Amino acid sequence: MFSKYIVKLAFGLYNSNRYNNTKKFFYDILENPNYNYKKIVDIFLIILIFSSIIELIYSIKNSVPMWMHIFDYYIVTIIFGVEYILRLWIHGDMHKIIIKEYETSQFLKSKFNFYTTLLKVLNEKWNYVISPAAIIDLVAIMPTYREFRILRIFKLLRYTKSIGQFINVLKTKRFELMTLFLLLIFLIGTAGVAMYATEGNINKNINSLFDAVYWALITTSTVGYGDIAPVTTIGRVISMITIINGLVLIAFATSVIVSAFLEKLNEIKDNRTIETINKEGRFVIICGYGQMVKMLLEQNNFDNKYVILEKDPDITHQITKEGFHAITDDASRHDVLAKFNIQYADISVLCLGNNDVENIYITLNAKSLSKEIKVIARASDQSMKKKFTLAGADHIIIPNQTANIMLLTSINQPAVYNVLHAMLTGKNAAYLDEIKVLAYDKLVGKSIQELEFKTKKLLLIGIQRQNHGDFIFNPPASTILLPNDILLIMGLKISVEHFVNTFQRGLV
Amino acid sequence: MKNKKQAWIFGYNKQSKSIAASLVAENFIITIIENDEKKFQDALSDGYKNSVLIDVTEDLELEKLDIKQNDWILCLMQDEHLNVFLTLSLRSYCTCNKIVAISHSIYSTQKLKMAGANEVIDIYQVSANRIHSIFEKPIVTKLMDNFISTTHEISFKEFTIPKNSFLDGMVIDEVDFDKFGVIFTGMIDKELGNEFIFAATNINHKLDSEDIIICIGKDEDLAKFEKYLHKDIR
Repeated sequence: MFSKYIVKLAFGLYNSNRYNNTKKFFYDILENPNYNYKKIVDIFLIILIFSSIIELIYSIKNSVPMWMHIFDYYIVTIIFGVEYILRLWIHGDMHKIIIKEYETSQFLKSKFNFYTTLLKVLNEKWNYVISPAAIIDLVAIMPTYREFRILRIFKLLRYTKSIGQFINVLKTKRFELMTLFLLLIFLIGTAGVAMYATEGNINKNINSLFDAVYWALITTSTVGYGDIAPVTTIGRVISMITIINGLVLIAFATSVIVSAFLEKLNEIKDNRTIETINKEGRFVIICGYGQMVKMLLEQNNFDNKYVILEKDPDITHQITKEGFHAITDDASRHDVLAKFNIQYADISVLCLGNNDVENIYITLNAKSLSKEIKVIARASDQSMKKKFTLAGADHIIIPNQTANIMLLTSINQPAVYNVLHAMLTGKNAAYLDEIKVLAYDKLVGKSIQELEFKTKKLLLIGIQRQNHGDFIFNPPASTILLPNDILLIMGLKISVEHFVNTFQRGLV
Repeated sequence: MKNKKQAWIFGYNKQSKSIAASLVAENFIITIIENDEKKFQDALSDGYKNSVLIDVTEDLELEKLDIKQNDWILCLMQDEHLNVFLTLSLRSYCTCNKIVAISHSIYSTQKLKMAGANEVIDIYQVSANRIHSIFEKPIVTKLMDNFISTTHEISFKEFTIPKNSFLDGMVIDEVDFDKFGVIFTGMIDKELGNEFIFAATNINHKLDSEDIIICIGKDEDLAKFEKYLHKDIR
């Protein structure tokens, strides 16, 4: 009976928009690095951590006002407690496990075992509870031992990427560092025991094995407080050997850490680039670097909201030096494009490499992540166009075809070629621009005759009707402009700008 | 009947194949020049019987080709260095010919121009411009695609004004292009040189025979306009 209610509740939660939206909201503000408001929550929690630490330091030599004590002991602890509970809640979906178990039992026509399901649910939550981050969180809210609160500083690991990255880099050299650590323990132990055996009864500062091991550690680290010093020749020999060993170990440890950083440096930089671009609401991912990309970025750098994914690290290195935002990665891999903020951002993907197979694969990759991603792909020839269309490319660029048409036009219609070339290259002589009629500007309700394009030294080529999607070429003089119409106008750049200023910025 | 124009295509590759086919359709006499035996055989097997196999770096062999003054020269060699060298060689003795070249890099575009090509189509520049337009001016891009596609409805067309036609001797302002459903975008006034004069500058030119006007319109309207233009009204 009880299990029946639990299953009902699980289905209820599964279907509840409010529950799912609330959970999503807390997930976003606590865990989603691409969610803009997460940063605010992180900063708030960092301030709380620092205020708590400052209170602890201040209270050591001074009496703390009651309000400060209440703030630290109750308010901060309660906030961290709520945060802990919320993180525990958003870790996994209990109701989904229950539903899955229930549906499996229905399919197999077996009895739904509530206790097994409960164990699975608890196991999932337990996995979170024993994770290092959750243990630090838990210690930070335990009010039992006041000095424990200094451990709250470790919570910063969650909110500051640099510390997290440092730890991740060290993790990659776990084996080397662990070997060095064991070697260190062995050397300190050996030196400590040797010293204790040699001077335990002679040196008045060595009263126990602990004193000897303490001396060995201080000597190995090359700190040398001087509170314990060898008094016999053998003791000094042990000291010299310990110091040399210490120097070698420090050099080894330093080189392991430095090499780990050097190996990971590019990856860290690339991740930073992705994180930065993910904060933009709209950006462009350019797959593959070549001359076309260089020319494109020379005339349109998308307000710096772009990133180039290039497979060859040498090319990435070179173009990064030239000032382009590039990372070394293979855009045809699903997980590479999935790193970008697909859910929230308006993304365009440019597949401009010279390999059709790869470009089609990237197109499919992008479209499989989200249909909303706009894909502009380069195809080698017309025969490939259909494949790119099937793959879902929104625009297909065929460089050879465009160039051929331009070449043929230059031979057959040289004057037309001049006009087209001027328009394609954005030359001033024939500036073709589109002007959107905004709902509140002076263009709405005006007829084409009233606007006197000819007097303003402009040619109206046509109107794109947004609402119906029709393109009206050479519209009659009586046509009335509607909100959201797009006027296609040709003229000198200065004339077009003057027209926009006159009607859309209210200068006249 | 129109005199057939002659075009010399240097280099037979995927790109020039398509260009040669289009020019044949436009009534051009095509001669393919290759320095590679295999490509030369390709050209022959594709039906270009008057293809020539020569060493294009040899001036003497180029001179033997007998290129006439009004012939078009297309430098489409795949090797960029060779293409620039060839353009320079051809320009040195074909001083009046129109030389058109395709460039595959920003660096060779400049070199081809310096070598004497009249028009250089930079394959990547044209595509980069198009991508830029897709982002900045999507409607313009759609229209431009229409202009340059082979299956267009609206296109640009240039007309040479015939003697005694209805435009011969008229001033631009007097002409009602709307009547034909076409938009007059500009002209080349032969009296003033070969500079393109954009319509919207509002300079009221007098049209004479042999002037070139450029109009934009639906294909059927442009065809009607052309037909009317060729009527002798005097």
